[in-house]
Amino acid sequence: MSRLLVLPLAGPLLVAGLLVAAPRRRTAHRMAGLATTAGVLALAVVLLATTRDGTVLAERVGGWHPLVAIGFAADAFGALMVTVCAVAVLACLTTAATDGTDGDPLFVPLVLVLSAGAYGAFLTADLFNLFVLVEVMLVPSYVLIALGAGAARLGAARVYVAVNLLASTILLAGVGLVYGATGTVRFGALAAAARTSPTVAVAAGVVLLALAVKSAVVPWHDWLPRTYPEAAPVVLALFSGLLTKVGLYALIRVFAVVFDGDPAYHWVIAAAALLSMVVGVLGALGENTMRRVLAFHMVSQIGYVLLGLALFTAASLAAAIFYLVQYILVKTALFLCAAAVHAGHRTDRLDRLGGLAGAHPLLALAFAAAALSLAGLPPFSGFVAKFLLLRAAGGGGHWVAFAVAVGVSLLTLASMLKIWSAVFWGEPPGPAAASRLPAGVALPAFGLAVLSLLLGPVAQPLLGLADTAAAGLLDPGAYLRAVTGR
Amino acid sequence: MILAAVLAWQGVLAACVPLLTRRLGRDAGYPLAAGFLLAAGLLLWRLPVLLDGREVALRWRWLPSLAVSAALRLDALALVFALLVLGVGALIMAYCPRYLGRRERHTGTYLLLTLFATAMLGLVLANDLLILFAFWELTSVLSFTLIGQTGASAGTPAVRALLVTSGGGLALLAGVVVLALDLGTSDLARILAEPERLVGGPAWAVGALVLVAAFTKSAQAPFHFWLPGAMVAITPVSAYLHAATMVKAGIYLLMRFSALFGGRPAWDLTLLAVGLSTAVLGAFLALRQYDLKALLAYSTVSQLGLIVGVVGVGTPASDAAAILYTVAHALFKATLFMLVGIIDHEAGSRDVRKLSGLPRVMPATALFTVLAAATMAGLPPTIGFVGKEAIFEALAEAHHVPWSGPAAAGVGVLASVLTFMYAARVVNAVLTGPLRQPGLRGPRRSFVAPAGVAAVLATALGPSVTLLSSLVQRAANDARPQGEPPYLAFWHGFTVALGLSALTIGVGALLFAFRARADRLLCRIPTTASLADRFESGRARLLHLGALVARPARAAGPAAFLLRPVLAVPLLAVVAAAQLGPLPPLVGDPTRPGDAVLLVLLVAALAGVVTVRSALAAVSLTGVVGLLLSVWFVTAGAPDVALTLMLVEVLTTIVVMLVLRRRPSRLAPRGSPRALLAGVALAGATGLAAAAGTAALTGRRDLSDPGRFLLAEAAPATGGSNVVNTILVEFRALDTLGESVVLAVVALGLIALSEVGRDVRTQPAGTAATDPVLVFAHRMLAPVMLVASCFLFVRGHEEIGGGFIGALLAGTAVGLAHLAYAGAPAPLLGRLHPRPLLVAGLLLCVGVGLAALPWGRPFLTLGKVGLPGGLALPFSTGLLFDLGVYLIVLGLIVAAVRRLDERPRPAVTGRRR
Amino acid sequence: MTAAVAVGVLVATAVHLLLQRGQLRVILGFVLLGHAVNVLLLSAGGLRRRTPAFDGVGEEVVDPLPQAFALTAIVISFGITLYLLGLLRADGPAGDDGEPAGEDESADDRSAGEPAGDGDGR
Repeated sequence: MSRLLVLPLAGPLLVAGLLVAAPRRRTAHRMAGLATTAGVLALAVVLLATTRDGTVLAERVGGWHPLVAIGFAADAFGALMVTVCAVAVLACLTTAATDGTDGDPLFVPLVLVLSAGAYGAFLTADLFNLFVLVEVMLVPSYVLIALGAGAARLGAARVYVAVNLLASTILLAGVGLVYGATGTVRFGALAAAARTSPTVAVAAGVVLLALAVKSAVVPWHDWLPRTYPEAAPVVLALFSGLLTKVGLYALIRVFAVVFDGDPAYHWVIAAAALLSMVVGVLGALGENTMRRVLAFHMVSQIGYVLLGLALFTAASLAAAIFYLVQYILVKTALFLCAAAVHAGHRTDRLDRLGGLAGAHPLLALAFAAAALSLAGLPPFSGFVAKFLLLRAAGGGGHWVAFAVAVGVSLLTLASMLKIWSAVFWGEPPGPAAASRLPAGVALPAFGLAVLSLLLGPVAQPLLGLADTAAAGLLDPGAYLRAVTGR
Repeated sequence: MILAAVLAWQGVLAACVPLLTRRLGRDAGYPLAAGFLLAAGLLLWRLPVLLDGREVALRWRWLPSLAVSAALRLDALALVFALLVLGVGALIMAYCPRYLGRRERHTGTYLLLTLFATAMLGLVLANDLLILFAFWELTSVLSFTLIGQTGASAGTPAVRALLVTSGGGLALLAGVVVLALDLGTSDLARILAEPERLVGGPAWAVGALVLVAAFTKSAQAPFHFWLPGAMVAITPVSAYLHAATMVKAGIYLLMRFSALFGGRPAWDLTLLAVGLSTAVLGAFLALRQYDLKALLAYSTVSQLGLIVGVVGVGTPASDAAAILYTVAHALFKATLFMLVGIIDHEAGSRDVRKLSGLPRVMPATALFTVLAAATMAGLPPTIGFVGKEAIFEALAEAHHVPWSGPAAAGVGVLASVLTFMYAARVVNAVLTGPLRQPGLRGPRRSFVAPAGVAAVLATALGPSVTLLSSLVQRAANDARPQGEPPYLAFWHGFTVALGLSALTIGVGALLFAFRARADRLLCRIPTTASLADRFESGRARLLHLGALVARPARAAGPAAFLLRPVLAVPLLAVVAAAQLGPLPPLVGDPTRPGDAVLLVLLVAALAGVVTVRSALAAVSLTGVVGLLLSVWFVTAGAPDVALTLMLVEVLTTIVVMLVLRRRPSRLAPRGSPRALLAGVALAGATGLAAAAGTAALTGRRDLSDPGRFLLAEAAPATGGSNVVNTILVEFRALDTLGESVVLAVVALGLIALSEVGRDVRTQPAGTAATDPVLVFAHRMLAPVMLVASCFLFVRGHEEIGGGFIGALLAGTAVGLAHLAYAGAPAPLLGRLHPRPLLVAGLLLCVGVGLAALPWGRPFLTLGKVGLPGGLALPFSTGLLFDLGVYLIVLGLIVAAVRRLDERPRPAVTGRRR
Repeated sequence: MTAAVAVGVLVATAVHLLLQRGQLRVILGFVLLGHAVNVLLLSAGGLRRRTPAFDGVGEEVVDPLPQAFALTAIVISFGITLYLLGLLRADGPAGDDGEPAGEDESADDRSAGEPAGDGDGR
């Protein structure tokens, strides 16, 4: 079983290589992309089933001595992330097939490479390898964001590449400093190192800083709402599902393993979390295109996840993981809705749209469900996530965080209502806006929304997984034993 | 089981709606009404069990790990509300078909109404805090869609309604979480059964939060402003929201939680104060309305205030009164809304100043209006009279502070007097005067029938109120078990309450007689700006604040976005410096005499980079920096790094030259001196931080364990003596695979970008010419470089070299060829195409890695591979892997020099493919 | 201390370039930043040992692992530098002024107004 741990990384890379060789075979691209991702999804589900009882699968790439081999490991957290990301990729590829984004001969290969990097980053147990795999994920995104020309897009691409390159450089410097201080980059050997040694804490702090920039945590969030909305809508949905989530995942993993959840830093993370929640939602209220509103929301949601990390209890980590998973689904659904709107109207500006609820009930339903879930309203998965988080915050007596979380969710609803009443209600602005959506373009978003709806009433399986994953983070013993091969 | 069955039945009804509307169109309301009645009948079937003091419950484990169950429970209190929801729902459903337009199917309206009823039903049946909250929010959302679907003008009020009610919902959620955390359970029945367990801070917090939730939902002051706005909804929706659902949910919540908080003075007094002041305020505002629907909306605010106030009294009699009056209000408010809808529908207006003389054309409508208005005004013999009596009696018993009883009763009477006045105004508008609208026709009987049923019921239930007695008593006891409530009767004898009723009617009648003067008086009472307007301006201010927050994310260039990440580095260093204790000592001396020379040269070159204005000079000086560092790397024992860096520098410089050939030769002008100074300061601080970090965290330990292991074991294990190279292609081949993929993607990206640029560029083709000197250099050097490249590649395992270095050298030859031939295809090397190189390289790297899996080995296990039949490959698969790397690197360089140098093709305007 | 000073001056110069106008400066800034990290990586292995890693463990033989890291990093940053150059070139010959004009407030209008060039692949 653990032999197959590298397949989510290697499989899509191989297929991408094959597809690059045949740039004109559009159908083959489409089918291969979907089939590969479905394969990864199937494997991820198997991994999930294996790790749900706390088992950790581990593999030493190349079969070398544990001291020098790059370790790959899947615990419930990693497997969960791979699974949900594969779902998001599948939905994005399907939408791309209906709205024509995948017509570009580079689109499917780049998506496959990007997703491979993300899966790999979820599974690697080596800090330097994490840096490399994050690059494997980011470089395709550098290309994807610029794909399709347009001066605005090139400008955004420049900002995007610059910020991420800076963050990557800081990350690399952090890895170098960690090696300088400890002489290793393996998670297994770095366990609790930052808690016991202040020098390691500084080095790993640099790593956390880089990951925070990549995750668009306030005050390093501006680049995300600046650049993401300029990307092609489906590409944006893909980014939202995968990119910052890898940063968040790595933040959580590094803090749990290297810092051993050191309470000395909880207030810093909590402050960043609360700031992100508030700033993100305010920015969303102030924006005026679907994509920009949603992009600012990402910042806010990242804050919610970080809040779970900051409290660092079994309940809060489970809440954070549950939140992360459902939020990937919901956010991807919302961006896919924006993509569908854009595909039909060539714009997603709030003041140039209207009356879509009547014209496209399925799309409206998908958006409404996802938006309500985002705002944490029952019976959607977002409600369970918010409840878990509030429970964790209240249980720890963190009433400020509790109050902020409650207040922000009202503002979230307000900003979602802003989109809803501008885009789906009201009158279509002028007869020219008579809309025609490509057939089936709303289906993937609808599918994700249904998934989010299901994860509300049937939350227990995911909750069980999140509990297992949280337990693994709180006590990384099993993970460490697996990756150190002892 | 019965509870699940009822909810499921409602679900089935909702699912059937599209089917019904397709077959029946707007008439789908009739079967739905029948369905509602059936559900009500199912619940009523359990009445004997409930009256026995038992309950019907159902439990399904929802989130076992949190001990949260989807628990439902039916007691008498829940039954009263459930019957209202379903009974009034049935009337509304039966009313819809004649109200709604004939043309459309109205699937949405019917579906939402059915779902709304279901959510409301779930709310009153919920026996778990979370379930309660879930249905609570569901009613908010569904009412939002019901209001909003009316049309463009409904958007703002609908949004306002949702924001206010879900704000209250969040308060409820907060309360629910605090409650569940404090008591360790979310089981409603258990929590309510032991109110004494909730004490101290949590009690205050939960109490306040529940109050906020209930007050927003039931439109109590100061949250009442959303409800009148919500009347933009179509009349059946308004009728349902006002009479039996939505606002009644708040009442239900208060009655439920009275078991927990009742008897605590803060709770009781808040209810009394807020409820009664809302009762007066709402009635006062209702009197100022001319639109019948608005009048009714404010009337709802007022009537609910009365009920809330009575709940605050907290005696068995007051609970019974509240329940009874809730029923009464549901009946007459539903009737009045339906009738107003009919009048509006037929007469085309609901303005009291325009309506008159309706009995001539629509006698039945007028009659029912009078009956319902009488119920509202509390005239005998209606149920309104009985209810008002009970309320007066209960209010008079308020005992929390001295004189609270008489005061409460007095305010109650005041509200009732105002109620009488607006009820009279409605009747007056409908009944009196001449018929002013010619051609007015009466509504069809089927249109009036549902309203008639409710009106007659409201009237008839007055004398026969004993029918309800046992249920109401039981329900009051279920709300809080504190003793037997009085038996309900139409006639109690000459009591204080009767006197108060008489007083109400008398004063009301008097004021109505002098209504012109009374109206003038009322109009003189000043009112502040409408709360709804304030709410909207607050929302606008919030959006403005949001725009301010979002503003920084609009900056154009990268610099603004790099500032804060950069700034974090010196800040982190300062914090670290304050936190770090004494550092471990340096191990040995990390400096050599020659290092100083390097540093001097480095600083000089860097100073040049920041000062020159010529782009070419800046690029060249950056190249010099790279070369200096590679020289230093040689002295630092890193020949592979040095060679790679040198080749990379050369190649980078070549590519930059290619790109710059058609660009201005000067760097962009600098910014303002002030910005420049700030930049210099930040740069200095960051540099200092980086230097300090390097000094503090490196060179302070001995050789690392992996390093020692690799030095000792790499050669024996891999057969290669260049340890660095064995790490790259064996031990950490996965990193190498990753970087190769990065390069391949960059190459593909360059290909894509060059086609992007094609539309943008305007410069005509063919300006540069071949350079004879470079051509000569190319002819001499290229073959040597290629041979050296192969050599370096093959010997990489043992000596300096390997796939990267080999390919970089070959790439340099390619770059030279392009510079020499200035874009014209160079012989041999110019014919290389990037794509096949990239594909072959990628497939080789990944394929070789994957090939280990079928042998049961881990990914990227490289080495000599045995073939079937005892044969063996003559070389290690590591060489194939390295070859893959070689091909990818070469592919990248070819892509870079070809694509970045490519002549624009003016003919190509369309997109690639 | 050599490494610390070298890292310091490289980073300072790089930051100075990054925060100024002009795309080329930004690119050069990142190149220098890459150099700084490479020096840092080698220093992380310990610069006391300076004999190339060809023959076994010795008191003076370097730690080879950071060198492998540095090689990987060099190659990755080389690739990304090329891509940045590609972005620079895709701008056309507009000059090194970097940021195209009017990107701040009108960003919306352009992204939403969909000028002819902003098709999404169709």
